[in-house]
Amino acid sequence: MSITVLSGLAGSLLAAPLQRTAPRRAGWLLALLPLGLFIYFLTLLGPVSAGRTLVETLPWAPGLGVEFSFYLDGLGLLMALLVSGIGALVLVYAGGYLEGHPQLGRMYAFLLVFMSAMLGVVLSGHLLTTFLFWELTSISSFLLIGFDHKDETSRKSALQALLVTGGGGLAMLAGLVLLNQAAGTLSIPALLASSPDLLKHPLAGPAAALILLGAFTKSAQFPFHFWLPNAMAAPTPVSAYLHSATMVKAGVFLILRLGPVLGDHPLWTPLVSLTGAVTLLLGAWMALSQTDLKRLLAYSTVSMLGLLTLLGGLRTPLALEAAVVFLFAHALYKGALFMVAGAVDHETGTRDVTRLGGLARRMPQTAAAALPAGLSMAALPPLFGFIAKEVVYEAALESGLFAFAAVFAASAVTVFAAAVIAVEVFWARPAGSPPREPHEAPLALRLGPLVLAGLGLLAGLLPGPLDRALLSPAAAGLVGHPLQPGLALWHGLTPLLAYSALTFAAGALLYLARRPLRRLAAALTAGFGPDRLYDLAYAGVFRLAAWQTGLLQHGTLRYYLNLTVLAATGLVGTVLLLYGGLNMPAAFPGATFYEVLIAALILLAAGFAITTRSRLGAVAALGVVGYGVAAIFLLFGAPDLAMTQFLIESLTVILFVLAFYHLPDFERFSSRRTRLRDMLVAMLAGVLMTVLTLSAVGIQIFPTISSYYAQAALPEAHGRNITNVILVDFRGFDTLGENVVLALAAIGVFALLKFPKRRQP
Amino acid sequence: MSINDFLAILPVLVVLVTGVLVMVADVFLPEGRKGIAALLSGLGLAAGLGAALAAVPSTGTAFAGMVVADGFSLFLDALFAAVGLVGIGLAYDYFKRMRLQRGEYYTLLLFSIGGMMLMGHANDLVMFFLALELLSIPLYILSGFFRARLASQEAALKYFLLGAFSSGFVLYGIAMVFGGTASINLEGIVAAVRDGSANLTFLLVGAALLVVGFAFKVSAVPFHAWTPDVYEGAPSPLTGFMSSATKAAGFAALIRLLLVVFPALGENLAPVVSGLAALTMIAGNLIALVQTNIKRLLAYSSIAHAGYLLIGLVAVNSSAAGDAVAAMLFYLVGYAIANLGAWSVVVAAEQAEGRGLELEDYSGLGRKYPWLGVAMLVFMLSFIGVPLTLGFWGKLYLFRVALESGLFGLAVIGIAASLVSAYYYLRVVVYMFFRDGEGVARRDVWLNLIAIGSAAAVVLMALVPGDLLQVAAQAVLRVP
Repeated sequence: MSITVLSGLAGSLLAAPLQRTAPRRAGWLLALLPLGLFIYFLTLLGPVSAGRTLVETLPWAPGLGVEFSFYLDGLGLLMALLVSGIGALVLVYAGGYLEGHPQLGRMYAFLLVFMSAMLGVVLSGHLLTTFLFWELTSISSFLLIGFDHKDETSRKSALQALLVTGGGGLAMLAGLVLLNQAAGTLSIPALLASSPDLLKHPLAGPAAALILLGAFTKSAQFPFHFWLPNAMAAPTPVSAYLHSATMVKAGVFLILRLGPVLGDHPLWTPLVSLTGAVTLLLGAWMALSQTDLKRLLAYSTVSMLGLLTLLGGLRTPLALEAAVVFLFAHALYKGALFMVAGAVDHETGTRDVTRLGGLARRMPQTAAAALPAGLSMAALPPLFGFIAKEVVYEAALESGLFAFAAVFAASAVTVFAAAVIAVEVFWARPAGSPPREPHEAPLALRLGPLVLAGLGLLAGLLPGPLDRALLSPAAAGLVGHPLQPGLALWHGLTPLLAYSALTFAAGALLYLARRPLRRLAAALTAGFGPDRLYDLAYAGVFRLAAWQTGLLQHGTLRYYLNLTVLAATGLVGTVLLLYGGLNMPAAFPGATFYEVLIAALILLAAGFAITTRSRLGAVAALGVVGYGVAAIFLLFGAPDLAMTQFLIESLTVILFVLAFYHLPDFERFSSRRTRLRDMLVAMLAGVLMTVLTLSAVGIQIFPTISSYYAQAALPEAHGRNITNVILVDFRGFDTLGENVVLALAAIGVFALLKFPKRRQP
Repeated sequence: MSINDFLAILPVLVVLVTGVLVMVADVFLPEGRKGIAALLSGLGLAAGLGAALAAVPSTGTAFAGMVVADGFSLFLDALFAAVGLVGIGLAYDYFKRMRLQRGEYYTLLLFSIGGMMLMGHANDLVMFFLALELLSIPLYILSGFFRARLASQEAALKYFLLGAFSSGFVLYGIAMVFGGTASINLEGIVAAVRDGSANLTFLLVGAALLVVGFAFKVSAVPFHAWTPDVYEGAPSPLTGFMSSATKAAGFAALIRLLLVVFPALGENLAPVVSGLAALTMIAGNLIALVQTNIKRLLAYSSIAHAGYLLIGLVAVNSSAAGDAVAAMLFYLVGYAIANLGAWSVVVAAEQAEGRGLELEDYSGLGRKYPWLGVAMLVFMLSFIGVPLTLGFWGKLYLFRVALESGLFGLAVIGIAASLVSAYYYLRVVVYMFFRDGEGVARRDVWLNLIAIGSAAAVVLMALVPGDLLQVAAQAVLRVP
């Protein structure tokens, strides 16, 4: 199974060279790969319909307990068949649709990458690998929507789709990690076998909510539905493949897949079914006003994805069976109709229904494909869509009036949408004229819709074998016990049949009133929605970023220093206030006259240093501060420290003078207010440091070291001058090092002073 | 002092001695042959790398408890030596092209690497400070290596001034810790905390100051101000090296301090570090959105990644400490590889006089130089954390640790921030592939090698993430 998943990636490498060597046949040749996969999956029908699941495991990242494993049951097989089968048709279709496009090879490559990723999603046996492939589908969707990269809207739509689905994917990742915490595993077979106690774990709820969030974004559920209509900027093969038949079903797939694991959580049914119901109605409502064929189909897809989600939330056996059956039916007819819309667009140059009409005469075969697909979408017998709709109605009726009413209303709109694309475009009187004179579409563009529509008809006429081989086993895996295959075209005269007839009648009425309806719906929905919210958020983030840049990245050093000092002071101060009690000395010893004098001198000099305009004056004032500190050292009986300080101060002043000799006086660049602000910041930092210093005064850890030297000088170093002994004996290496440093510094200073002279001739 | 003391820090010694040798040799190298200095430095670093890989982690200390040679420090030794090697590969052609091939560059680079390695080994607060200065001062000088460029001078001055502040904070913090515990040796501090003789207020204030000081080095917001300006002004090869290695060195210090010395303060420091992490992730990613210069963009990206890493630092105080350290080391390695690769593309695209650094200049580059373009795509995806790259696993491990430690808020911010980051990283790709332009890049064998090698490493190592994690998990710290 790993080979089937990864073969698409290998195939994508072949796509570009093949396109160069055989530009006209590349699509057909490349389609052999998915076709081969499709046939392979068909051979698995036997064992899977017998109720077996195929599992294959390769160890991968043991540190995380991740394995590269595959798990194929009925549902996985159904999805895999759709992905590979429609994939083959889409590759052929893309070859016709983008014939002569310089980057057709890239399109093939992206499509194959997507197919691989999608197969990975549906066949993974471990949720983490599911997630890997999930994100890969998002990325390939991004690349495919933005395929026409010179177009601003398609770039924007591509990014929007990526941000929404990728963001949801990240939420899902968080949910998966939580699920791992709760269940101890992410392996799908192990999860399916886990005990119901899992739901009592406090993390189960958040995990379910986050995973569902990811599924909702992917399957375009309200309020994340807006990316899907915008994604119609992609070339039609992409829309047909990713955005109706397969990728958008990934969210539904995950909901169905995890239903047995998390579905009994009290959060699940309300959250999922409500979201589904809202999406169902919203998509239907939005579809009413669309005149662009692809956007119409997109909103109808949103609506039907809502239906699938609703069914996945209800979780009755009947609802699950309906979800599986309808998922299959929808993929067939919607894929076909998207391809039809693309063919029409390709041949006439427009997708605007108000400019199209009566194409059946010019494009008979396309019309022949559109009709059964449209009838299937409108749920008319003997097509498979009818059977699916019956099961859905049955499940909805069982769950209550509200669900049924919602499904009924949306189904009426679906009939309307089907009529627009299959009837209005091909049979109605033309309302306007298309930009190009229409012709029949080439074979590559007809094949896909014809095959899919034909399959819909076939499945409708012979539902039994299909049900037994594929759909019942798929649903059985979700329900947990084998189901009685019971799909049939004719159940007799039941209330369901009456409802179906009623739906059709309501849809037909909507279709007849389509022109005023479009205007009305457009007027009512203009202007607001999550799409607008996304735009606002998007712009808002940038405004926030710009504002923050101004705040944090001002560019001037003074500002940085302020920020730094303030932040550090704040941080340390907070820590101190929150956790630390300060042990300030209880009483300060009285100061002597000299101390007061020197302190006053220091303060004066410091004041002078910050107010003077002369550099040399400031340097000299700082020197005075240093000397004052040295004098205090002297007063407190530390002559060696004082001597050092005197030396250093003198040296600094001399160096400063040498270096700054040529510089002009200070300029007053800053206003009074900024200087006041700076002063406050400096004071704050100063106060903090003073407080810390004062509180440290009370601590004496060691006895002073001088008594040790006084005792040890004579017996150990044979010297009576203690200072000498310390410098050349006890700390001899230090002294040597200091000398070396001083000498090096002196050489450096010398070199610096000499350097400019050499430059000037 | 015995030979064993020196053996404990053999990788550091090899690098530092090579630095001195290169400095001496440089005097005798004729003007045009300075490439030999690069070669010598590369050999020295390779020897250092070999020494680090061959060394066996020891549980003891050396130099009277000043340094250790545990698995953690040896892991970092290898990382720094490898990053240094790549850093030389980035620099060689670049300085030749800019007519600034000087031996000093390599000497100073080696000294700085020596300082970083020492940071991993430090077991004494004074050693931390020494290592900090040893790694910082050469970088201050190197930032201003383009003496003729105003931006470079400005970078050096800003870096020096703000860096001096950070050193000041560290020193002050050391003094406070000493005041609280009467010891500057990690063992002594731990013992003082354990037997209750420590003054917790001072210890706490000291720890906070140390965190502030090292937060500078890892460019955590709000101590990041220097980063974009310095990254932009400094020579690109240096920035590439600096953003990968200095961050690792800063985190090395923070990990050891928080995990070994201050676990008792974990509860008190966690809000501080969490705050830094949240701020850093949010501010770094948001400001990166509006950057148009690739060097500034990568600077903010480096700030953002520091934010993710800080999450691990909060988790260090939980029961998942071991996992947190392994996750952080894993992340650092993944980030270093992708980052060096990305900078190799920047270096290749930079033109004389600092041109070719705007995103506009990258238009069409990817189609003209498909290898560089694809490599850059891989790096950007790894930065975002897209599956099948090393960056994905790094984020996954980090966020997993965060969730295991109950840091839901931080994990959510991290995930949201990653989402925002997708925009600006992908913008680089959009420019490279989807826009038409006249972009040109240097075809240099070393740069291509680094770009393609890093891209391959990012993808291939992502296929077997368990192995690297295994290695990182074995790089344990010595806990007295």
